[in-house]
Amino acid sequence: MTLTSILILIGLAACLGLLGRSRWRLLLLLAVSALAVYALQPALPVRFLDFWLPTATLALTVLGWALTAPPEQRLWRTNGPAAAVLAGVVLLLGLTRLFGLDLPAVGRPPRFLPILLAVTAVAVVTFLLVRLGRARRLWLALGIVFLLVLFLLLKSSPLTALVSAWLRTLNGQSAGLASPLDIRWLGFSYLAFRLLHTFRDRQSGRLPPVSLAEYAVYAIFFPALTAGPIDRIERFVADLRHPRPLDSQGWLEAGRRLTLGLFKKFVLADALGLIALSPANALQVHSAGWAWVLLYAYSFQLYFDFAGYTDMAIGLGRLMGIQLPENFNAPYLKPNLTQFWNNWHMTLTQWMRAYVFNPLTRALRSAGRPLPTAVIILAGQVSTMVLIGLWHGVTWNFAFWGLWHAFGLFVHNRWSEWARPRLTAVSVPWRMALQAGGVLLTFHYVTLGWLLFVLPDPATSWRVLSILIGGA
Amino acid sequence: MSDEVITQLTEYIAAEILKQPGRGIGPDESLLTSGLIDSFHLVDLALFVEDHFGVHLDDAELNASVFDSLNQLAALIRSRQ
Amino acid sequence: MDSRSEVRPLAVLWKGVLLFLLVNLLVAAFPPESGTSVSLYNRLFAGRERLPFGETPAQSYNLSLFDLEAMFASHLIAGGPKPAQEYRVILIGDSSVWGTLLRPEETLAGRLNALNLTLCGREARFYNLGYPSLSLTKDLLLLDAAMRYDPDRIIWLTTLESFPLEVQLTSPLVAHNASRLDALMARYDLPFDPADPALERPSLWERTLIGRRRAIADRFRLQAYGVLWSATGVDQAYPLDYPRAQTELEADLSFHGFRPGELQEADLAFEVLEAGFVAAGDTPVLLVNEPMLISRGENSDLRYNFFYPRWAYDDYRQWLAQRAERLGWDYLDLWDLLPDPVHYTNSAIHLTPQAEAVLAETLVPAISQMPCP
Repeated sequence: MTLTSILILIGLAACLGLLGRSRWRLLLLLAVSALAVYALQPALPVRFLDFWLPTATLALTVLGWALTAPPEQRLWRTNGPAAAVLAGVVLLLGLTRLFGLDLPAVGRPPRFLPILLAVTAVAVVTFLLVRLGRARRLWLALGIVFLLVLFLLLKSSPLTALVSAWLRTLNGQSAGLASPLDIRWLGFSYLAFRLLHTFRDRQSGRLPPVSLAEYAVYAIFFPALTAGPIDRIERFVADLRHPRPLDSQGWLEAGRRLTLGLFKKFVLADALGLIALSPANALQVHSAGWAWVLLYAYSFQLYFDFAGYTDMAIGLGRLMGIQLPENFNAPYLKPNLTQFWNNWHMTLTQWMRAYVFNPLTRALRSAGRPLPTAVIILAGQVSTMVLIGLWHGVTWNFAFWGLWHAFGLFVHNRWSEWARPRLTAVSVPWRMALQAGGVLLTFHYVTLGWLLFVLPDPATSWRVLSILIGGA
Repeated sequence: MSDEVITQLTEYIAAEILKQPGRGIGPDESLLTSGLIDSFHLVDLALFVEDHFGVHLDDAELNASVFDSLNQLAALIRSRQ
Repeated sequence: MDSRSEVRPLAVLWKGVLLFLLVNLLVAAFPPESGTSVSLYNRLFAGRERLPFGETPAQSYNLSLFDLEAMFASHLIAGGPKPAQEYRVILIGDSSVWGTLLRPEETLAGRLNALNLTLCGREARFYNLGYPSLSLTKDLLLLDAAMRYDPDRIIWLTTLESFPLEVQLTSPLVAHNASRLDALMARYDLPFDPADPALERPSLWERTLIGRRRAIADRFRLQAYGVLWSATGVDQAYPLDYPRAQTELEADLSFHGFRPGELQEADLAFEVLEAGFVAAGDTPVLLVNEPMLISRGENSDLRYNFFYPRWAYDDYRQWLAQRAERLGWDYLDLWDLLPDPVHYTNSAIHLTPQAEAVLAETLVPAISQMPCP
């Protein structure tokens, strides 16, 4: 996101915040969020895809609601206006082409008829889904599978390139030019995880009843669209229904977070980005010392970039009276890897814990013939961390990165089991030394892990590692 | 009642999770954010609560924003009994 | 709570904005002294082997900026006082001296250093102060600024394309250093108009912090890229493939709008060249007419190469030789030293690494013959 687009979003959020509890607020917030989905989508070389992907984001959101809404929430009277806003945004953007308007930042829409057909199709499917009876459980399961398959298609480069080639052929464009970069679907990773969360909670009966407008604003809330955090719907909707007022306290809190976020992203992260380790410079480095400098720079760039975006999202949310969850809490100052993961991209790890680690551990723990504790811990950590890795992209390096952290977490777990009863009586200076050593060790373990994260393949990571330890 | 719940929880956590039987835990001491209980033992704690108090803690509830201290956990258990 | 002790966001905002405007106006009214360039080069980072220039910073770890102080401060030559045993030779010229597509050690300066010459009983050390744009005035600007580094000798390589009066001020480095050019004009009585629209004269707005944000950011980025320069030794993007210098030429006889016979000696900036010799003072200058590609392809009877119709270049060579003779300059005309296109990369004056080595060898006798102080 550019500085300009962020300043525009700040202005919009402040206006929405000033509306207070007006009854139009929710629908306006929905309209702004829907427009932002289009405005923030980067331009793509496949024709009209930068219009269709945002449209698909809205369609998935509406269908997600239709699948999960309990009977008392399905009334047309409650949800008609929100449906009209969403359809209206799509159709109005489609109409700009008829009137020859070229909106800045929004991808050029295709002809109007296909758009009209798409909106009608989504409306019909929504209508049918809302009326689902007992088949709902099956459809929820299918919805989860569908999202996971879509996720795989978008996150695995060879598959994405195939999809791109197929789309190009449909469009009459040259399939030979297809590249995985053709399908950069803004915010999909976050959207998918929000929707999966509502599907799973609907299956377990925990999902609170929410209207279409509330569900959609949760899914595509514009401050959290591009870089999270991944909130939980019950918490988000509670704030949405009772927003905190935009009083002077609100301005101060929002202003502080926004300033901090802008500083972290556009000053610290972007400056570090100039010198951070990258696939391009990784193998040009000719000395261990400088290689460490580049790696440290990457480590901090990644943190300030991501934490900066989170600060901005939280600041924007605060302007509108919504307290988004924290995503980072000084992760590089934590004394062990377990603590690091409790404080790095927290909303993703909490999601993974809730829907992967906890159910798996519970199942293994309650199994008829229970496995040894260490095996269960290892299984839980490996599956969770590898999935967190693959969430970033389906590559060997992301999988290895997940394994690196699973291994680290496992070793820390075993160590703390062993050390906890033995280290109770250590003196304060020793404890402080252990703490400081732990922080340094954890930071370096994580930072070495970024070698797998930032570089494209294991061989390159290995070569940079050998440069770091003094081999050439 | 709540004292009884807290006592049982404290005994379980000290003996089974921290492996330091007899260790005291403050009713407002942070359990999760401090790293006292890791994610694996949290599931064990949930199973213990299920067995002992007949209260189900959902997988999605096992995080610091739902409860982070003995007092908060005891309150959650009481509200569901 | 006492309401007066509360923080009022609006008050914070307007005070912040007011302070910001005030600082901007102060900076615009009293511009900070340039010439006090803080640089991490030659301290934390290795000094650069050539002046900063780069159009794709993300690939070249290098960028083009106009702040001569910052540029020189990043260069190896600013690394400290000249060692007693060093015989310092600076190379002035265009992109062929700077070394487009060449690694630092492959440039003319790099090739000369590899010869480990001894001059006047000291170890010769050659510094690459070439800069990619064709303008004698740009050369003069750099030569003048380089004199404070106490060179023992100057080698100035040039070609006709740097001579036309119309290109003198359009080099970005010249255009953005108008006040320096004013000083040069005053000192050497140069034939330029101070109000020439090519010269960038910053308005009050452009002198504020906001107006100068680009220049400030550039100076910061130059420092930041010092890390990657030190870490990789890369200061230029090296494409795997590029269009080779043209050998099939257009049937065009004009040179900068002059048709055959129209170009006069006065249309070329010989005064700037002379000013360079004055600026050098007692430091001996070796002037070199640099080698160029001589095509044998289509229309090569009319033109030597992409840059020059034969008639214009022949006139230029004659004028330059006459002037050098008359003024007693050390002058070496190497125009046809390496005529074959195999010696050139993407332009009729950009030599290959091997050709640079040949050029360096060729220069040795002329360098060695120059008088010692």
